[in-house]
Amino acid sequence: MALTLPPDSRTPLSWPVRPGNGLRASHGIARTLRVLLALALALWLVLPLVPLALWAFADRWSFPAVLPQAWGWGGVRAALAQGAVPAFGRSLLLGLLVSAVATPLGVLAARALAYRRVPLAPAVNVLLFAPLALPAFVAALGLNVLLLRVQVPPFAGVVLLLTVYALPYTSYTMRVAYGAHDLAVEEEARLLGASAWQVMWRVQLPLLAPALARAAFLAFLVGWSDYVITVLVGGGTIVTVPLLVAAAAAGTGNDATVALLSAAALLPPLVLLLVLGLFGRRPRSHQTNGDVK
Amino acid sequence: MRRFGIRRIRFGTFIAGAAAALLVLSACSAPAPAQQSFASWDQVVVDAKGQTVRLWMYGGDEQGNAYVDKDLIPAAATLGVTLQRVPVADTRDALNRVLTEIQAGTRDGTVDLVWVNGDNFGTGKQAGAWSCGWTSQLPNMLLTNSSDPLLGNDFGTPVQGCEAPWSKAQFTIAYNSATVTDPPHTLAGLLDWAQQHPGRFTYPAPPDFTGSVFIREGLDSVSGGDKNVPLRFDQKAFDRLTPALYSRLKELAPSLWRQGKTYPKTSAELNTLYAGGQVDFTMTYGPAELTKLVADGTYPAATKVLTLNEGTVGNASFLAIPSTSGHKAAAMTVANLALSPEQQAAKADPRVWGQYTVLDTARLDPAQRALFEQLPQSAVVPSYDVLSRNANPELSAAWVPALDDAWRRLVLAGR
Repeated sequence: MALTLPPDSRTPLSWPVRPGNGLRASHGIARTLRVLLALALALWLVLPLVPLALWAFADRWSFPAVLPQAWGWGGVRAALAQGAVPAFGRSLLLGLLVSAVATPLGVLAARALAYRRVPLAPAVNVLLFAPLALPAFVAALGLNVLLLRVQVPPFAGVVLLLTVYALPYTSYTMRVAYGAHDLAVEEEARLLGASAWQVMWRVQLPLLAPALARAAFLAFLVGWSDYVITVLVGGGTIVTVPLLVAAAAAGTGNDATVALLSAAALLPPLVLLLVLGLFGRRPRSHQTNGDVK
Repeated sequence: MRRFGIRRIRFGTFIAGAAAALLVLSACSAPAPAQQSFASWDQVVVDAKGQTVRLWMYGGDEQGNAYVDKDLIPAAATLGVTLQRVPVADTRDALNRVLTEIQAGTRDGTVDLVWVNGDNFGTGKQAGAWSCGWTSQLPNMLLTNSSDPLLGNDFGTPVQGCEAPWSKAQFTIAYNSATVTDPPHTLAGLLDWAQQHPGRFTYPAPPDFTGSVFIREGLDSVSGGDKNVPLRFDQKAFDRLTPALYSRLKELAPSLWRQGKTYPKTSAELNTLYAGGQVDFTMTYGPAELTKLVADGTYPAATKVLTLNEGTVGNASFLAIPSTSGHKAAAMTVANLALSPEQQAAKADPRVWGQYTVLDTARLDPAQRALFEQLPQSAVVPSYDVLSRNANPELSAAWVPALDDAWRRLVLAGR
């Protein structure tokens, strides 16, 4: 086993130190190019959002003016009148529920595929990925008949179908994470007397936390951005933000409303991403401690 | 997110057609349209109390949404009916939901009322999606003219009490009078104008709803008037009449916006071009929106409605109750309420929504008539009487795909 044992039991487990060192850092032109490329990429991501931000508070902006001719709260008022606040609440709930169901399922599937002999493993893999190939519209139209026949309540039906659509993301993310996960660490903890429960909470979970966070985030996005399943399976009982955006975008003169709703719809995922960035990492301090020693 | 949603919807429309076709093919298994039977209107009103009605409607018209939220919902509440508005990007979404409910044999569906007309109504009727024969029980139906062709036929599909009238609309062409100083007065004249002013005119590409109407207007025009085009589709008439239409449109194409190499995909795109002053004309089946769009500065202040000597096509839109709805009494109550002179007048106010009434003013009492006479005139849109002068009936729905397909083959791909 290539793993070095910790000096004593009080020292927390540490991940191998990051291999980056002075030799890997780029210099000169390469460095300049790299920075420029990063800046260009950032610009490419941010640029499309600028008109969105401008439109959100533009009461009048007609071609060919470069900037809005009149600023105001028209977009905000219209968005509120369309029921934006309760819609945000419902979208948030839907995203969190899908995430809460699809992430553990993805973990279980990935762990089984990584460590157990799953019969017909390639077929299971394909099955887990199948939702990505199946247009949501087809699934919604076909499966809704079944859901109605067995009397599944609309909200439960939406969560169920969206969970299926989130599974490819969560199971794939976790499959990759388990691929890089060293089971020896868990075995070692068991050897040192940890219970299976302790191994899961104190060893496995911290090591997999970043991947778990990524999987949960992707699953949240599936619930957060869906239109077609929410409409067809939800049957109008759940009016979420994508419904408001799609409806407003289908009309003329709603640019400010659409921009405001879309820009506002970016915020919760962005906040989640930041939270993940702050808390979803492996504890850095331990690594630094290890470095110093 | 927005783009993604729209792409799915487009694909959805395609699948919906296929699904509806399948349903029609398996018509033996499709349930017959449920017949509504209430002993009396009083019975309906009593049954309606405490029920919830979900009204599914196209949500892209903020004024329409506001009218329902601020006028219709509170008025329904006084009758003991909880009305909820479900905004959708396309009425087809509501129909799709109903079609799955029919397949599942649902009796208590989540769609109770749909704002619908044309193609969606016809497809749904074929598939048994609507409750029929209930509108004659609505007391306010007596205030409409039962022989009005717009209310008896919805794009060639007989209404047969499967939907209650709600609003009338007239296909309208608007122009910027600041740049168009010599407005034409016929559709042929409009096409000539477009040729004399390259790049200043275009129309949405069919099968966009509005673009499709424009093609039909063109067919009437090149055929020497709507009286020469049979309402019912027939292949011989199509072969005889359409070559003139497509050769005219092909001849026109190089003079259109961007030399006709591309067309606005939707009427919303054409409206944006017009709002930005890139073209001088736009067109809509909902002239009601023009007043607001000029007032809030989206459209140029000099926007005017182009009245054509030969008239334009008109239609009505309706409220339909799906056969799977479990709240028919309440849905009928709301449909009757929406037909009341008070609600029709509120809806016709250009400051509220500006949708034309389906009521026959001759059948109203003086107090009710006064409600309509008090309405302020829109500065942009003429009254319905003026707009609907010489109004032409809509061709039957079977004409639409044939004309749209030929346009794509001969005009769009033919250059």
